[in-house]
Amino acid sequence: ESVPIITNFKLAESLSSCRVLVVGAGGIGCELLKNLVLTGFKKIEVIDLDTIDVSNLNRQFLFQKKHVGKSKAQVAKESVLRFCPSANITAYHDSIMNPDYNVEFFRNFQLVMNALDNRAARNHVNRMCLAADIPLIESGTAGYLGQVTVIKKGQTECYECQPKPTQKTFPGCTIRNTPSEPIHCIVWAKYLYNQLFGEEDADQEVSPDTADPEAAWNPADAAARATASNKDGDIKRVSTKEWARSTGYDPVKLFNKLFKDDIMYLLTMDKLWKKRKAPLPLDWTEIHHLEFSQEEACGTGLKDQQVLGVQGYAQLFHRSVETLRSQLIEKGEGAELVWDKDDPPAMDFVTAAANLRMNVFSMNMKSRFDVKSMAGNIIPAIATTNAVIAGLIVLEALKTLNSEFDQCRTVNLQCCSFHTRHTVLKHELHHVLFYLVLFSICFSHLV
Amino acid sequence: MIDTIEKEENIISEEEAAQYDRQIRLWGLDAQKRLRGSRVLLVGLRGLGAEVAKNLILAGVKGLTLLDHEQVTEESRRAQFLIPVDADGQNQAQASLERAQLLNPMVEVKADTDAVGSKPDDFFFQFDAVCLTRCSKDLMVRVDQLCASRNIKVFCGDVFGYHGYMFSDLGQEHHYVEEKPKVVKGSNEANDGPEAKKPKVDPNETTMVKKTVSFCSFKAALEVDWTNEKAKNNLKRIPVDYFLLQVLLKFRTDKGRDPQPDSFAEDSQLLLQIRDDVLETMGLSSELLPNTFVSYCFSEMAPVCAVVGGVLGQELVKALSQRDAPHRNFFFFDGLKGSGVVDYFGSK
Repeated sequence: ESVPIITNFKLAESLSSCRVLVVGAGGIGCELLKNLVLTGFKKIEVIDLDTIDVSNLNRQFLFQKKHVGKSKAQVAKESVLRFCPSANITAYHDSIMNPDYNVEFFRNFQLVMNALDNRAARNHVNRMCLAADIPLIESGTAGYLGQVTVIKKGQTECYECQPKPTQKTFPGCTIRNTPSEPIHCIVWAKYLYNQLFGEEDADQEVSPDTADPEAAWNPADAAARATASNKDGDIKRVSTKEWARSTGYDPVKLFNKLFKDDIMYLLTMDKLWKKRKAPLPLDWTEIHHLEFSQEEACGTGLKDQQVLGVQGYAQLFHRSVETLRSQLIEKGEGAELVWDKDDPPAMDFVTAAANLRMNVFSMNMKSRFDVKSMAGNIIPAIATTNAVIAGLIVLEALKTLNSEFDQCRTVNLQCCSFHTRHTVLKHELHHVLFYLVLFSICFSHLV
Repeated sequence: MIDTIEKEENIISEEEAAQYDRQIRLWGLDAQKRLRGSRVLLVGLRGLGAEVAKNLILAGVKGLTLLDHEQVTEESRRAQFLIPVDADGQNQAQASLERAQLLNPMVEVKADTDAVGSKPDDFFFQFDAVCLTRCSKDLMVRVDQLCASRNIKVFCGDVFGYHGYMFSDLGQEHHYVEEKPKVVKGSNEANDGPEAKKPKVDPNETTMVKKTVSFCSFKAALEVDWTNEKAKNNLKRIPVDYFLLQVLLKFRTDKGRDPQPDSFAEDSQLLLQIRDDVLETMGLSSELLPNTFVSYCFSEMAPVCAVVGGVLGQELVKALSQRDAPHRNFFFFDGLKGSGVVDYFGSK
């Protein structure tokens, strides 16, 4: 009968000559590299443009605290070699989208495995693998969910065959005039940061939008509003940055313009407030005179998870504007700052500005912790989901390689029974595994 | 109901907040605090054990004791990533200790070189959860009986070649919470305009719902009666892995070890024999578990250890943090098919 399968060791022998590429050395990448060497892969190349951050350490187990700031690909390689010194690993601290990694580069490999976190890179690798005609295993995780897909030219659909949902955007008038959810205020605050301290963008206006179609009682009115000049302050003619410069980035003047004057202007667009709760302007002096309850002590929660009061966010706004102003001055003439969730004054600024706006529009304010999630597009992540998905990736890799290599076939004869299922209809999504840890659900390999 | 968190575990340091940020954003601060107060015993440090150790240490439990009386061999060292290359001959738990500790200095990791069978009853009482790998059926039954009544969560798991399983006994009354979206009450004047004239409730706000679930013992789970009609009718839907597990546990009891590649021929014969005996005793046909199974249950496949270790690790996290519905009570993974199934066996 058929030769029985065997052991890990025999399988390992046939795998030791395969060259594989791992794109990404983060959550999935670390787990994947470990699984690959323990399974018997020897020739592995890994590429990642990123450096190690402390927030990676809860799951990217090849990294320790002392490695923070270093290249992920490089440290991953070193850590793997410690438990498998015979592995032949090449690490690239680089972007896979660098033209050096051309079709010829991809043709060096029998298999490519993605361990990425962004669509641009996935699209790019997808196209390179199609061009080089190399099988690609695609995967992703977020929280408790994960997915693995095999992409083979001529046999399965590719990554871009199915349209993917695009990042959600909001209409300009919602951001500028009629926010109804915290996220609208957070987007506004990020735009404000750019308008004041960063690269000004015409699509990131923060001032009241007089051309808002909802504001007009009749079409002629809309046109009139769009071209009218304003009595106080030339809101439209002067850019936000110019205006701020003219006041020397005075935090109090900035506060009153954004949260009082501009709001009062919005109130004049009365049609907007016929069916909506009207915004309530804030005044710097008034806020500091009123008897607001003292903020509670930090207690047993995270400091960042506290929700402050209006005074607290007003103070935070004041402090962060001063700090960012200093940063600008330090950088010199024509300097622009780039927003980064891990830059404390930048994060403080968005937290404060977004919350003040939420307060103006009668929304419950959010903690810095929550604002950071939304502003920074943070995806929660844990070790176990990545561990499972990386395990499934290697199992798929074994099946994929078996259909490519005759030498593998003789060692793994017993596996052939499920290899015949590889015949596929074109444009049919193949080899998709969904994994849900949270729910008691049977997950199975769709054939 | 839900146990209160002890005072000393109440404060989260800045270092912890920074390191655990991405998981606190998923399961919340309360869950993280409960993890931080938990002590776990992990028995067996081969492929599966190393995966579970990694997952628990990264999650941030208070303490993890690695218990293993076996020595490192070339085979066992190549099966996991915690043992240094020059450690052949050393005790497996001891050899894994240093790298396990480096995964997260905030966890107290200890190594114990005794055989778990030699431990007195009260040894287990210092833990909040116990995870048994590579243990005999009798030992697992004994430890489970001892622990479950004291509200110590019990988990068992193994990987045999391409197959793996996890079993859990969280006691008669396991309390936990689930996060559900808040139902937003209020006027829905759909035709009147986009928003009501009221302060806004964030549509993403959630609320915590308390729940309770009960588990049966490992003994009861393995001693299901298949001779009655109802059980027989359900047979088609039962994962075959359940019977495979019975066979492999019997092999382990009879031979004192798992099937080894070095004695493939002899072990395969024995496996087929045991299959016949076990299924006959249950009043079932040998055809339920076709002969091909013998080829796929030798050694520990690393990716299968990763999958089972990931599920097992996450179930431990859920049980210790008392958050989210636990799998009840078996998880079977078939690495050949790439399929995982959760199913319940035992008294309802």
